[in-house]
Amino acid sequence: MAPKTKEKLKAAAAPSQPPPSIEDLFTSLNRHIQRSEFTQAVKVANQVLSVAPGDEDAVRCKVVALIKADKIEDALSAIQSAQKVSFDFSFYKAYCLYRQNKLDEALELLEKQDKTQSGMLLESQILYRLGKMDSCVDICRNLQRAKIDSLEINLVAGLVSAGRASEVQGTLDAI
Amino acid sequence: FPPALQSIPRNPIVLDLADSFIDFPSIENRMKKDKKGFISRLWG
Repeated sequence: MAPKTKEKLKAAAAPSQPPPSIEDLFTSLNRHIQRSEFTQAVKVANQVLSVAPGDEDAVRCKVVALIKADKIEDALSAIQSAQKVSFDFSFYKAYCLYRQNKLDEALELLEKQDKTQSGMLLESQILYRLGKMDSCVDICRNLQRAKIDSLEINLVAGLVSAGRASEVQGTLDAI
Repeated sequence: FPPALQSIPRNPIVLDLADSFIDFPSIENRMKKDKKGFISRLWG
């Protein structure tokens, strides 16, 4: 049997006690997130959802925790079953598809959305995998103003793979 | 056949930076701690 949280054990020992409140569950969820215990976080998020189906915070925590736990297929299922949640999961879904190497599908999804920094960054990574190096470099250059940490690593990779290694030094000097 | 082995340049490293844009929502306001803070503020 899966290890249970202290709260759960307490509840089992004293059946007369009420089940943990949603606030208790969120406190527990937050603790798991802080400790990077993502599998546990998913379980607690599910507990919240069993009491409050469609709770947006719980759904979002569940999806993110599944992604961070590398359970990409499960994350996609969770997104799929969260149709009624108002949060827009398109970027998350595109990221999951990228992780599954479904690159065309991911790109198609991103193209339907408004351009955001995160979306453009993901697009550049997808284009790199697709071997479309010039497009990848163009997007990275557009993103340079956004001050994304380590972006220059991907930009240089794009330039080298595009056969434009001669531009690398100038690019790095300009940063 | 088979062709002779030859060295090839190593592929440059690409990082998954998009990963950092996937983050948990703030759930502080959903926790009990927040309520306690409110009560202790009343008492304090």
